[in-house]
Amino acid sequence: MEKKIIHALKTGSDPFSMLRPKEYAGTKQDPHMVPSITDKRIVGCICEEDNTAVVWFWLHQGEAQRCPSCGSHYKLVPHELPH
Amino acid sequence: MARQAHAYHMVDPSPWPLTGAVAALLMTSGLAVWFHFNSTVLMTMGLALLLLTMYQWWRDIIREGTFQGHHTPPVQKGLRYGMILFITSEVFFFLGFFWAFYHSSLAPTPELGGCWPPTGIIPLDPFEVPLLNTAVLLASGVTVTWAHHSIMERERKQTIQALTLTILLGFYFTALQAMEYYEAPFTIADGVYGSTFFVATGFHGLHVIIGSTFLAVCLLRQIQYHFTSEHHFGFEAAAWYWHFVDVVWLFLYVSIYWWGS
Repeated sequence: MEKKIIHALKTGSDPFSMLRPKEYAGTKQDPHMVPSITDKRIVGCICEEDNTAVVWFWLHQGEAQRCPSCGSHYKLVPHELPH
Repeated sequence: MARQAHAYHMVDPSPWPLTGAVAALLMTSGLAVWFHFNSTVLMTMGLALLLLTMYQWWRDIIREGTFQGHHTPPVQKGLRYGMILFITSEVFFFLGFFWAFYHSSLAPTPELGGCWPPTGIIPLDPFEVPLLNTAVLLASGVTVTWAHHSIMERERKQTIQALTLTILLGFYFTALQAMEYYEAPFTIADGVYGSTFFVATGFHGLHVIIGSTFLAVCLLRQIQYHFTSEHHFGFEAAAWYWHFVDVVWLFLYVSIYWWGS
């Protein structure tokens, strides 16, 4: 019944990560919104375009965290999987 | 949580790849046994296993996609890539036989009389049955496109009519070719002309039969309401394959039947 689920969510949300992630500025006012089905998710920040060293860190629920390298803000957005 | 967070299909374990591999083993070794020991038992067992594997594997895919809904957009995209790559590999398969034909026909050896068609070969008149065959396949290309548009426009009756007509045209082509094969004044053993003619057109005929079978399965599925106006990839794959078969015939006709006569 995956198809029903996917069609039901052409309402705008994308719980199955089928579309490209939205662009955010990464500032305190406009942090990267990171969807998650648990209370933490690994984030890999490519600080500058074409960087070959990806900065990995756990993003926890709650206040926005900053990338240890470039300082962009990331905020976890927990959501329920449809079922 | 009970479900996956992605839209891909993690397939359940299945025995059909194994049975398919065993079938391939039995058919190939069975072929060797037939050649050397005059027994077709092994080969027939392999063929039976192959047919069972194909039926059950594809039946399972239909169950997973149409009945269980696992063929999400990304999954369907993968299936499309797969079909395109498969047809591409078949194009290369035929390219080999065209290479062989042109190799022999562009510079005919003295043994053939230095000419093409070789001395003694009476080629088929390209403007008789072969031309009819060309018309039949081109018409079937039109009817399969008609069927596709009917599916998308939710015209159930027209879809069934168009698909049936396509399959009948396919059978008509096969019947005409079979008659041509029977009545031809040359055989596969008649030098390189016979070899290139019958191997190239023979494999093409086999592909016509495969394509007709694929379309027939689509017809059965259409009658049983498997296809929707938005999601009917099985049909699209069959239609792509059918167009490929048609295009191969056009090249065969122009190269072997027409230029080669």
